[in-house]
Amino acid sequence: MKTTVLLSAARHPVSGREALARLEAQAIALATRLGGDIRGLHAGPESDALREALGVGLSKIDRIDAPNGSDPMEDLASHLRAAGPDLILAGRRGQGGLDSGLLPYRLAERLGLTLVADAIAIEAGSEAGTVRIDQALKKGDRRRVTVRLPVIVTVHPLAPPPAAFAYGAARRGMISTHPVNDPIRQEGQGSEWEERPYRNRPKLMRTASASSGDAAEKLFVDPDPKEAARLILDYLERNGIRQF
Amino acid sequence: MSRTRRDPRNEREAKSVASNTRRRFDLGLVASTSRRPRRDPRAEFASAEVEGRSRRRFDRTQTTAAIARPIAEAPHRRQEEVKPATRIVETPAFLVFAVLEAPKNRLSRFDRQVLGAARMLADAKDGGGAVVALAPAGLEEVGAAGADRILPFADDLALDDASRAAQLRAAMESLEPRHVLFAEDGRSADLARRLAASTGESFLADVVYLTAKQAARRKIGMTAEEFGAPPRLVSIGEDRVAAYAGAPCEARPIEDETHASPAAGSAIVSVETIPGDPASLSLSETDFVVSAGNGVSDFEAFKALAAELSGTPGASRVVCDAGLMPRGAQVGASGTVLAADCYLALGIAGAPQHLQGVAACEHVIAVNTDLHAAMVERAGLAIIQDAQRVMPALRELLEERRNAS
Ligand SMILES: Cc1cc2nc3c(=O)[nH]c(=O)nc-3n(C[C@H](O)[C@H](O)[C@H](O)COP(=O)(O)OP(=O)(O)OC[C@H]3O[C@@H](n4cnc5c(N)ncnc54)[C@H](O)[C@@H]3O)c2cc1C
Repeated sequence: MKTTVLLSAARHPVSGREALARLEAQAIALATRLGGDIRGLHAGPESDALREALGVGLSKIDRIDAPNGSDPMEDLASHLRAAGPDLILAGRRGQGGLDSGLLPYRLAERLGLTLVADAIAIEAGSEAGTVRIDQALKKGDRRRVTVRLPVIVTVHPLAPPPAAFAYGAARRGMISTHPVNDPIRQEGQGSEWEERPYRNRPKLMRTASASSGDAAEKLFVDPDPKEAARLILDYLERNGIRQF
Repeated sequence: MSRTRRDPRNEREAKSVASNTRRRFDLGLVASTSRRPRRDPRAEFASAEVEGRSRRRFDRTQTTAAIARPIAEAPHRRQEEVKPATRIVETPAFLVFAVLEAPKNRLSRFDRQVLGAARMLADAKDGGGAVVALAPAGLEEVGAAGADRILPFADDLALDDASRAAQLRAAMESLEPRHVLFAEDGRSADLARRLAASTGESFLADVVYLTAKQAARRKIGMTAEEFGAPPRLVSIGEDRVAAYAGAPCEARPIEDETHASPAAGSAIVSVETIPGDPASLSLSETDFVVSAGNGVSDFEAFKALAAELSGTPGASRVVCDAGLMPRGAQVGASGTVLAADCYLALGIAGAPQHLQGVAACEHVIAVNTDLHAAMVERAGLAIIQDAQRVMPALRELLEERRNAS
């Protein structure tokens, strides 16, 4: 099986330096477990993050020499179409960039592939040419989908932790550079949004009284234990936490 | 000189009070010459009191209004409130879609916030828009939460995501909403991106600030934000927009005639849903935590209770330090900060380090022998009783209910 892990131009959330996104490191770990021929793919200038990716389990990375800040979609799509991997892995969101999480979806649309979001485990399926993917849903629910290859999968933070960084592997790994197909198109990639410095905006406070009605009915001093138990269960049912 | 000359003797005489022993004067009775009404701070304070609470609470934003209001009226404010009439939008000028998840067929807090945002966009400027809730049919609370219409759109886990997106896209093409709002969470976030990629509509993800004029999201690791007029597709971050609190809306069911053809040639072979097991979930992922503190001594009973309530067991630091619960169960600043909906605290005092861990929990239930514990103040339901006696009672009652059903 041929697997490609998409590597973004991520930045460390605290220092702001180029670093491998954790989700992509987790994607590499998932791919390594599955085995086969694994390659990384990055569109953009040389970056320290690529060495880091080599250190956590990749041995080969293809880098498309696109200028900084250009939209990598077309470059990635044409490269992937030529390479034809069975499985394409990406993080569910970027880190330190635009972080909209839209790129895998646009790629899937462009390449006409199925996309399975929020994976935490990938195994080979019982039939040949299929994989079984566990998706993380809310509140600990999981969904197991069996899907025919080729497929794009985004990785959820609850996936197994990445492998430890190995310096030797990072030095040994190969980064091969490919030229951009169509350099003229890269110009004039303007965003439709305006930009300004970030302002911290506090979140709304969560208070129980807003939704659970009469706050007067909240304190019970020395009720009978049976009555107390009934009050607790009723409260849980009324607020839709559990039904007994 | 236009000011009239005062006559102190006459003024004093006017204040005399009838009395048969000696002469008395009520000096508080001022025959005021100024037109400004005299303030009565006590009455103002009393009228600012919010009723129906166990503790006295004062709504200080109301003080200026209270001066003008006849004070005797204040205690009856609550009873006079009539149930507001239902808001009806007969022919909407435009539509705003709100895609709801409604887990277990109830509106979550996040769903209400999405509806609140949709309501805000529908009522903006000239107004006249209608909010269409895309939710499972038969959901009752959507009207009160601000939806004018409800379009059945099942959050069926067995349905694969691509065909849900196709279904929503068909609804968008036939009803032409001005905005479609999503929660930036789980399947809604996935759906928003599928739609953005397939329609090519402008999309703003994880919006942290939303008004009718402007939507903003952060990027480049919280150093910059991008903003603009709210685009057609918006996904909203949690706790960013307030839920709707006005008069209930109609929530009239509507139908969408165009039926989307199921996504042709899907590569998905089979789908199987595995419900999460609260006992084995990590604390950061679960929705309901049953937690023990120093007030609990019978840990066998506690663990059994947590399992029977299908909650994830947690503990305070004292308990973990004593080795009675594993360190992984510690809730608080140096343990796990929860994202759960509900927290049941048995015999926990509520130290600041512990309360930090439950700051995000919407519902807190406290069982404690101490009426003045901080946990009791934080709780939405507080029971002043011995946890050792409540635990067996709870287990008994659960057993009873299980047998009854
Ligand atoms: C740097 C630092 C970090 C910390 N981090 C954390 C943290 O992450 N998490 C954490 O939990 N703590 C933390 N702590 C410890 C914290 O300050 C408190 O000591 C701890 O939370 C108290 O735990 P407790 O409420 O279970 O025990 P106690 O303070 O002993 O409270 C027991 C409560 O149970 C009640 N009670 C007693 N008997 C009964 C009964 N039979 N029935 C019902 N109620 C009863 C009592 O009235 C009392 O309110 C931290 C402290 C420090 C200094």
